[in-house]
Amino acid sequence: MKNPFVPRIEFAFALAAVFLAGVARPAHAGWFGKDDPLPSWALDAAKTPTPAYADHSSAVILFDEYVETIDAQGRAVEREREAIRILKPQGRHHDCSVSYDVDEKINSFREWTVTADGKTFQAKDTDFVDVGGGEEGIVPGIPVLLVTERTRIVHPPAEDVGATIYCESEEQIAPWNREKVWSIQSTIPIAHQALELDLPPGGHYADSWHQHPPVQPVEVAPDHWRWEIDNMHGLDLRDIHVHPAWRALAARMSIYWGADASTDKDAEWRALGQWTADLEAHRPDPTPEITAEAQKLVAGAPDFYAKLVAITEYIQNNIRYFVIERGIGGFQAHPAGEIYRNRYGDCKDKTTLLISMLQAVGIEAFYMPVDDRRGVVDANAPSLAGNHMITAIRLPADERDPRLMAVVAAKDGTRYLIFDPTDERTPVGNLPSYLQGGYGLLAAGPLSQVVALPVLDPAANGADESGTFALAADGTLTGQVDALYFGPEGGNFRSFLKFTDDKERREAWESFVAEDLPGVTLDSLRFVQPDALSKPLEFHFSLTEPRYAHNAGTLLLARTHVLGSAARLPEDKPRKVPINLGATGRWRERYDIALPPGYVVDETPDPVDLDTDFASYHAATTAKGNTLHYERVYTVRKVELPASRAEDFRKFESAVLDDEKGMAVLRKQ
Amino acid sequence: MRGSCLLCSAVLAATLAPAPPVRAQFQQPSAEELKMTADPKAPGASAVYLDREETDSQFTGLQTIYARIKVLADKGKELATVTIPFAPEYSRVDNVQGRTIHADGTIFPLSVKPEDLLDYRNKYYQQNNLVFTLPNVEVGSIIEYRVQIVHKFGILPYWEIQTPYFIHKEHNYFNAKGGGFGVNGRGTFAGFLAMFVTPQNAPLSVKSDAGEYTVDLADVPPQPDEDWMPPMNTLRWRVEFYQTFTDSAQKFWDSALKSWSKDTEQFLKVKQTLRDAANAMVSPGDSEEQKAHKIYAAVLKLENTDYTHVKSDAERKKDKLKTVNDIEDVWKNRSGAGDSIALLYVGLARAAGLKAWAMQVVNRDRAIFDATYLSTRQLDDYIAIVEIGGKEIYLDPGEKVCPFGVLHWTHALATGFRQSAAGPKVAMTPADTYRTDSVERTADLVLDAAGNVTGTARMVMSGAEAIYWRQQALENDPNALDKDFIDDLNATLPEGVSATFDHLVGLDNSDSKLMAIVKLSGGLGTPTRKRLIVPGLFFESRASHPFVAEAKRSTPIDMHIPEMQLDDVVYHLPQGYTVGSAPHTADVTWPGSALLRINSTFSAEQVQVARLFARNFTLLGPGDYNNLHDFYLKLAAADQQQILLARTAPTKGH
Repeated sequence: MKNPFVPRIEFAFALAAVFLAGVARPAHAGWFGKDDPLPSWALDAAKTPTPAYADHSSAVILFDEYVETIDAQGRAVEREREAIRILKPQGRHHDCSVSYDVDEKINSFREWTVTADGKTFQAKDTDFVDVGGGEEGIVPGIPVLLVTERTRIVHPPAEDVGATIYCESEEQIAPWNREKVWSIQSTIPIAHQALELDLPPGGHYADSWHQHPPVQPVEVAPDHWRWEIDNMHGLDLRDIHVHPAWRALAARMSIYWGADASTDKDAEWRALGQWTADLEAHRPDPTPEITAEAQKLVAGAPDFYAKLVAITEYIQNNIRYFVIERGIGGFQAHPAGEIYRNRYGDCKDKTTLLISMLQAVGIEAFYMPVDDRRGVVDANAPSLAGNHMITAIRLPADERDPRLMAVVAAKDGTRYLIFDPTDERTPVGNLPSYLQGGYGLLAAGPLSQVVALPVLDPAANGADESGTFALAADGTLTGQVDALYFGPEGGNFRSFLKFTDDKERREAWESFVAEDLPGVTLDSLRFVQPDALSKPLEFHFSLTEPRYAHNAGTLLLARTHVLGSAARLPEDKPRKVPINLGATGRWRERYDIALPPGYVVDETPDPVDLDTDFASYHAATTAKGNTLHYERVYTVRKVELPASRAEDFRKFESAVLDDEKGMAVLRKQ
Repeated sequence: MRGSCLLCSAVLAATLAPAPPVRAQFQQPSAEELKMTADPKAPGASAVYLDREETDSQFTGLQTIYARIKVLADKGKELATVTIPFAPEYSRVDNVQGRTIHADGTIFPLSVKPEDLLDYRNKYYQQNNLVFTLPNVEVGSIIEYRVQIVHKFGILPYWEIQTPYFIHKEHNYFNAKGGGFGVNGRGTFAGFLAMFVTPQNAPLSVKSDAGEYTVDLADVPPQPDEDWMPPMNTLRWRVEFYQTFTDSAQKFWDSALKSWSKDTEQFLKVKQTLRDAANAMVSPGDSEEQKAHKIYAAVLKLENTDYTHVKSDAERKKDKLKTVNDIEDVWKNRSGAGDSIALLYVGLARAAGLKAWAMQVVNRDRAIFDATYLSTRQLDDYIAIVEIGGKEIYLDPGEKVCPFGVLHWTHALATGFRQSAAGPKVAMTPADTYRTDSVERTADLVLDAAGNVTGTARMVMSGAEAIYWRQQALENDPNALDKDFIDDLNATLPEGVSATFDHLVGLDNSDSKLMAIVKLSGGLGTPTRKRLIVPGLFFESRASHPFVAEAKRSTPIDMHIPEMQLDDVVYHLPQGYTVGSAPHTADVTWPGSALLRINSTFSAEQVQVARLFARNFTLLGPGDYNNLHDFYLKLAAADQQQILLARTAPTKGH
């Protein structure tokens, strides 16, 4: 809460602050405080009734129109007009904003609010703020990705339920930008939206559509095209479990302009790849220091795989993730020499240094723009929409090392190994799970093309855990767990180790184990992290859980599956979006529980044997002498299922959950 | 670290004086420092500060920050990125120098120009971040940097002595000479330099010598990091210099209380309009309690802009709303911020003939009042105190849906300024009891032979839980509230069981309890061939009990509120099953502090399990931790009990 008045003893400080603040010239509202009248487009938008399908939404966009005016040099000026009606209290947060970078300029930005009772307000200078952008890293307070891009946000006056907010902005877009990604779906409904493209005489354009059928434009004037879409429902995934990324499901249209714009999708991907390759041209050129380092790394390497391991692990271990992106720096890497000297960079930089070092030892590699959210890059919708850069390493024709699993073949048959140098812990040859099943743009000059990223065999990822425990008659469980994690799963645990110290590690692990054993105390925790990323990571820990088993008269009840849950129950209702299985892999667990003296096994849970095209699950509990033995193997074969398979998936996961809850009944002799 | 700007006589001198260049003062690391791979004083640490230094000069406005850090593990490499926030209108960052020294002694100087990035800008204020990253950092490296910042209007240092990392040697120095402390020409800046060291038991002392202040420390432990800690202002070591008008704490608080009360009374001025309003709310024959209640109900109906929308000047003008100078304006506007409404209540109560006082407390979620910190900036929120039948009742009308006689948890056990018949004074609000903050949960569950369950549950909430959901309802529409409630509940139900929302009762009546009714379904029990095993404590079987995993504690415990849970769950049995066993009776008592009682009864058709958990404390010292730990271990164990149903009829297929 704010104080209703300033206490006297602080008055002097407040006065000083006001004095120091000075008075700034108004830049957004009318001069001398006089408001601009509500423009005619806003008056028209105001007539739009709130659509019935927006009943459960916090707000509705009544009107959203972009006009992209392209000059003869291909530079765009973008005008946006938007009308948002606030329907619920939480809808007050739908503000308008315009982002701009060092090579962009906001020409104008105005906002009006019309309240439910018809009063009109216009935002003043004091209602606008500019905020910088940045991304915090894993260590609190320390950013890893900073940008020169800023966002101007307006906090509309009278922003309350029933009010409609009208925003109009005009911005000069960066000179290198030749693509507009039109997000035609939001978290809230959009009643009417349009995009206009006003090209210079004879200008070219191409459009592509993601999660939406193509809409035909109308040529409203020579070389001036308009697309319109009505009644787009909001995309709300809140109550849907295990769903793909929101951005992968949201409808969008990409439009490009310029001489390279082509309606042929292959040609357009080629043009985008060429643009990327041109932008990064000479960035990877190796300096003498890089060449020397690369040659030193591969000296004595017996084969192609060993060379790759030496160089990729160097990048993974020695180049910190940190960058400040300035303007086109969001797309363009720093020169390899600079990255090598400073030993830090972002995904583009790491790819650049990797290409450079590989080049220094005679291996050709290429940039590959991707998105780390599976499904965002769409083979049928050429676009630079993506958030990540990885590397495609050209394989010699005779290279068939089975450790190189993440291999794709281009249209001409050339094979490439796909590798993500930013993922500091997944070994070369493997591929982080978030990339599997997606698409990437091979930026190989005239050979550029979109390629499907592989889904690896389950054997490439997973865990092997075994536990040996002793159960006391009072229900206390003590024992030791030994676990091996490999592939991307091993990478995740290595990252966990990287970004924690001993105390944090122990606390996190204890919390993790406590999800299954609520009263657990970790008696010891040890890990073995081999330098070679291809070798499994080992975790060894011992624990005590004071009340694992529960007395029931002369019986003792004990869960046979001790640790870790794989069950992911989807909601029990009709499903429209695909099921995201996350990662392929194989997870094997074995637990031996020595029974308390004088107890024998009276009952064990039934075995479970499930085998489907997307996953299998085999679990069984057996009693051998005074030991209870539980074993399960859970294998996931696909990364995504269509919505139509929801019932199959639900049945499968219900059986997994039931098995995880399975109890053995022990009887006192 | 940050420095606060201060208008003083050094303004011109500091503005005109160029920043002296940073001297090449980097240290030669010792052989031991270079080869160090772990630190016995900080076992398991990913990095340690070998040296940490800040020097500040009030006269020149020069602030110098120096650090030398040994990187011991991968995570510690992140300390190579340094962010210096500054306000470009008042400060500039000069002379950034840094270097990385590898374990073999190789030196890599900082060669990239630091980036000056906008963080935030509005019409009146701008904050930027200067960011740089030291090059070529690897495990084993020593990172070293020095930054100079020039503050145009001088600096009053704020030294955060502790960091998340262990510090071997720490040096802080402040030269306050020539800083203009004292009385200026007009006497409005009667500035004494005050120093605030916290917490009071921190083993640090500030050496003072003729306007120069020094803190030298060795082996500074990392700042504490435990669950359920009180606000960090009571824990983290820091030294803050600030200006005040007296060098005596007694004089300061005497004077501050008088000023506070005078300003408060100015705002509380009861005019005829308010007297008329109060008279319209109450009847002449009403008791003090009836009057207090009626006025409370009336002010709670006003628009509380903490939960809606604060109107801009333009809106106020258009809506013909008065500028708020006193409580009469709040009443005329029928709208105000929570603090204004709390004060309005005091004014109306007085107008109705009640004895009522205002109190301004430190929000306990943010900080704890510290009498050694001579600043009224500690104070946050207003509450009201009314006398009924000679007894003082604490009220929270600024919190919109707080029931009469209940304080929001952030205002309970909170210290601040209050008015009283004997004049203004520093006081503490009373603590809640477990009876205030209670949840009664009942469930009626029908089990089938496969372990599936259907049924209904009812949760009756009072105190903090009810206030939380009612305040959520003010800021969200009912549909969103239902979803939030169900998401919250589903996270605590036994795995496999889910709830769907049915309805809420009493959402609009904050004096009543809040009741939620939900439907339940899903897989609850685990069948075996001869038995069905069911969680015995339905609402707690998946609960995450605090403290069970940590055997030791170094900081006090702040649980925000006391609490009581009363559960009553009936399980209707499937045909063909009898009760093999039900949860044992549990009676765990921690005298005066907490208790747990579990009792189960069963018949051929059903099992009924009752559970009572009450915790009657909010704050505890670390010395009580053993008792606390022991109690929660027993609680966690008792809550894991099962119901065993034995199959009496043969089942097909087995």
